[in-house]
Amino acid sequence: MIGLLSRTFDNLLGRGEAAVTVPPLDGALRPNRLLDTARSRMPLPDVDCLAFHDSVLVASAGSDIHAALPDGRWMLRRTYGSPVVCIASVGPDGLAVALDSGYVVIEGGPFDGRRYRVDPAIRCITAIAATSDALYLANGSATNDAGEWQRDLLERNASGSVWRIDLGSGAGTRIASGLAWPCGIAPEGNGLVVSEAWRHRLVRLDAGGTVDRVMLADLPGYPGRLSPAADGWWLSLFAPRSQLVEFVLREPVYRRRMMAEVAQPFWVAPKLRSGRSYYEPLQGGGVKHLGLLKPWAPTMSFGLCARLDRAFQPRVSLQSRADGATHGVTSVIEHDGEIIVAARGDGVVARIPLSDVKGDAA
Amino acid sequence: MAASDTIARWRYRIVPDHLVGEILTKRWVDNAIPFAILLIVIGVFGSLIPDFFGAASISNLSRQWGEFSLIVLALTIVMVAGGIDLSVGSVFALGNIVALGLLSVAGWPVPAVIAATLACGAAVGLVNGLLVGYLRLRAFLTTLVTLIIVRAVVDMLLLKYSVAIAAVYPDSDVWYYLGEGYVLGVPFSVVVAVTLAIVLHLFLSRSRAGWHVLAVGGSRRSAHNVGIPVRRVICSTYVVSGTLAALAGALFASRLGGAGADTGIGLEIAALTAAVLGGNSLGGGRGSAAKAVIGSVIVMIMVNSLVRLGVTSGANSLLLGAVLLLAVAIDVRWLKNRHKFLSKVYVSPTYSELPAAPATSGASAYALNDRLRSVEAIGLDRIDGPEDVILDEDDNIYVGNRTGDIVRFLAPDYVRQEVFAHTGGRPLGMAFARDGALLVCIGGMGLYRIGRDGTVAKLTDETNRSWLSIIDDSRLRLADDLDIAPDGRVFFSEATVRYEMHEWPVDCLESRGNGRIICYDPNTGSTRTVLKNLVFPNGICMTHDGQSFLFAETWACRVSRYWFDGPKRGTVEIVIPDLPGYPDNINRASDGSYWLALVGIRTPSLDLALKMPGFRKRMARRIAPDEWMYPNINTGCVVRFDETGRVIETLWDSGGENHPMITSMREHKGHLYIGGILNNRVGRLKLDGMDPEWTGQSSYWSQS
Repeated sequence: MIGLLSRTFDNLLGRGEAAVTVPPLDGALRPNRLLDTARSRMPLPDVDCLAFHDSVLVASAGSDIHAALPDGRWMLRRTYGSPVVCIASVGPDGLAVALDSGYVVIEGGPFDGRRYRVDPAIRCITAIAATSDALYLANGSATNDAGEWQRDLLERNASGSVWRIDLGSGAGTRIASGLAWPCGIAPEGNGLVVSEAWRHRLVRLDAGGTVDRVMLADLPGYPGRLSPAADGWWLSLFAPRSQLVEFVLREPVYRRRMMAEVAQPFWVAPKLRSGRSYYEPLQGGGVKHLGLLKPWAPTMSFGLCARLDRAFQPRVSLQSRADGATHGVTSVIEHDGEIIVAARGDGVVARIPLSDVKGDAA
Repeated sequence: MAASDTIARWRYRIVPDHLVGEILTKRWVDNAIPFAILLIVIGVFGSLIPDFFGAASISNLSRQWGEFSLIVLALTIVMVAGGIDLSVGSVFALGNIVALGLLSVAGWPVPAVIAATLACGAAVGLVNGLLVGYLRLRAFLTTLVTLIIVRAVVDMLLLKYSVAIAAVYPDSDVWYYLGEGYVLGVPFSVVVAVTLAIVLHLFLSRSRAGWHVLAVGGSRRSAHNVGIPVRRVICSTYVVSGTLAALAGALFASRLGGAGADTGIGLEIAALTAAVLGGNSLGGGRGSAAKAVIGSVIVMIMVNSLVRLGVTSGANSLLLGAVLLLAVAIDVRWLKNRHKFLSKVYVSPTYSELPAAPATSGASAYALNDRLRSVEAIGLDRIDGPEDVILDEDDNIYVGNRTGDIVRFLAPDYVRQEVFAHTGGRPLGMAFARDGALLVCIGGMGLYRIGRDGTVAKLTDETNRSWLSIIDDSRLRLADDLDIAPDGRVFFSEATVRYEMHEWPVDCLESRGNGRIICYDPNTGSTRTVLKNLVFPNGICMTHDGQSFLFAETWACRVSRYWFDGPKRGTVEIVIPDLPGYPDNINRASDGSYWLALVGIRTPSLDLALKMPGFRKRMARRIAPDEWMYPNINTGCVVRFDETGRVIETLWDSGGENHPMITSMREHKGHLYIGGILNNRVGRLKLDGMDPEWTGQSSYWSQS
């Protein structure tokens, strides 16, 4: 009863749960243009996920897997029957490829050619992490598939789950459920750290699959995939939070009508790339003055990835601001002194020497 | 969905939400809380005390109120100027004893007694004024000291003359008339008090000296900086205060005819309570006679009623103190939070359902193309926000800019530019009159005329005020675009009466008919509103028949036609009901059709929000203005249409890279010149198949 009263009161005054505040980009996340100023930029339309396979950089884009050539171009390596939603290295010479259909295929390595389909309920694989004997899968949502992430956010779902597949036997078990769009996995100790996008946080699941600790909370963007760094982790934040979206999320009638009456590209929702069409919503600060879009303009898309230390606290970030050209970072990996960032929104892979990213900004 | 839309439409048609914000912008809304308290006090005591509303009770109460309210008025004047006068109670007692003494003991005639009494009060006030105003002592301490000294003087006078006063019975009808007489059935003191309250009201609200007093109270330093003689103003408020207090004392003397030791004791606290309770700010700068009157009535009723209810005098003072405390608290909180509250409730959206937007692809007349790709930029990065563009017969370009200049780019290459005139406001729409003068709508100022030599002259900056409008809509806030009828009458649009120039996109969140079209007639010099309740009326263009003009309503996404002469005089017809974007300026094309600028394109998400006023209202309250959903004014296009509303062609710059933001265009000798209110250039596009000799001036003025 008191809960109901205080919720009504909050709704009336815009406090508590009804508050639409978004944390500022500060500390290690202070704005910069490092993603846009990267010297090496390799265009690859719709690039999504990166991995190293046999010491070669591979990237998924649509239904294809491309391999990077030394001259900075891409070579098509393989095409699958349905869109590739996620890839991950399995050991030095293996590659796990998750497909939109729910299958996970292993290319190369000791498990070459194995196909896993754990459960028909898995329709939305968003991230994979491999250990020596097992694969961990994040299933973003029980009702929407991977491309429908905006709808899943606007429906305010929390139906995601995390699964374990035994590479040898192929047996799959569900470790955790009820997560709000889990889309990044980092095996840590005897547990897993999972990024829970719609709750803007990283949580640690213990061996039994229960959330035992919130590692990092109240992020200014929606956290996505995690990958190991030399001394910690890389986290990609694929879209920014904004006051307007937070507000729309608290307006059920408008949300319902928008999803029913407005075409999806023109929703008020975070995007991997915004501002391409004049049918997209515009916010007050986004009005161009003297022909320029201000870098601080409120935006539905940005580029942001952060290096986290071993305790999962951000130390350094690489960004592309509202007027930048490296939006929608879906995957970051570090390899051999180089940071490789896949910006799906702009269809480009940026490579930045680790030495360019100086020290701890915090 | 249709049912909820219908409900929303009627709900917002019937309930005028925007009035809340407008009322809050009014200064008189400060009186709302005191007035409510007054009604409560009357209600409570009226029901507690039998015969409260009886004639005798009212007469007795009002006679006392007449004297008391004079004291409150006295205190109000001082408080408005930022001071405080605690000596009013003592001066009141002094006035009482002086009047009685002069009349009874000295035997002066009544007019002389009154004059001397007032002079006595003024003298005490002058002492206060010299000390506080010129020597700049603290008002509180100074008047506290005067309170004690004057009280001591009164006690000494009492000691000496009270017996003599009591012994003599003054034989003067005039004297008793002051205290007991009626004017048309109203007690004399009430007549005096009401008269003085009206005088004070006119003084504070209508006179230069009154504004000086308010200015000094509002900010002493600023008042000094603008040249107001601060010390003299402050000093004179104390003189007036002393005089009024003495006058109240004289009236009291006439009514009771006795001098006692307790006369006027504690009166300053009661008067202070009344002044503050009425809403006069202790900090100065905010106060009025009406507030003083309301406050004094409340306190008078409370004090008297408590006495009549048999409450002991100690409890009475206790209550008065508590009320004073409460009033001060409310005063502070109200002053602090009023603007916060106002900023939250001022934006008040209403229901607006736009017709389905036509497509901008495929076979649509609005289909996307790259015809503006070849626009060349004039004055790139050297002009800030040319809203409208116009060319004279020598092909020079005139544009307004954000800093209030009319800038002229010189033909033929438009490399050189010069400031043709400085207006000070925000120049928007422009048109050349028959005599070659440039008429300009200036946002924030009104309609102006700029002669060929660059001299700026005001044509009009106000129109007739509507009777039922709460905000003063006689002033022009955002004159936007104009055109000139063949007989010289100027029709111009005022986009909104609720927002200032720099907030114009916020009006879209409301999408109410906040705008109007106004006619200025140079033959009579009169200005009249001809069309009201338009949704951001913007571009205006005379049709070729000389009897009507076309006008665009930006947030309604339509173009209409209004006949100001001829058989269809006074009628409005919609020409294009469903534009895909937000129309801005309209101008003539050489082939008899019209150019129309679309400043932005409708977004489906905002179109939906326009049908949900509650959603927009909450958005305006909850999130920062920079984050509000705006009409998409980053991409625009130019449309050509004819009088039947048929769209002939559309010119786009698909990426918005070459010429972002279009608010106006002007055809001149086979070229189209393009302006944009937030742009940094003037665009110039070669037109194929248009008359290379045609100019706007010849079209308007040569055939007639």
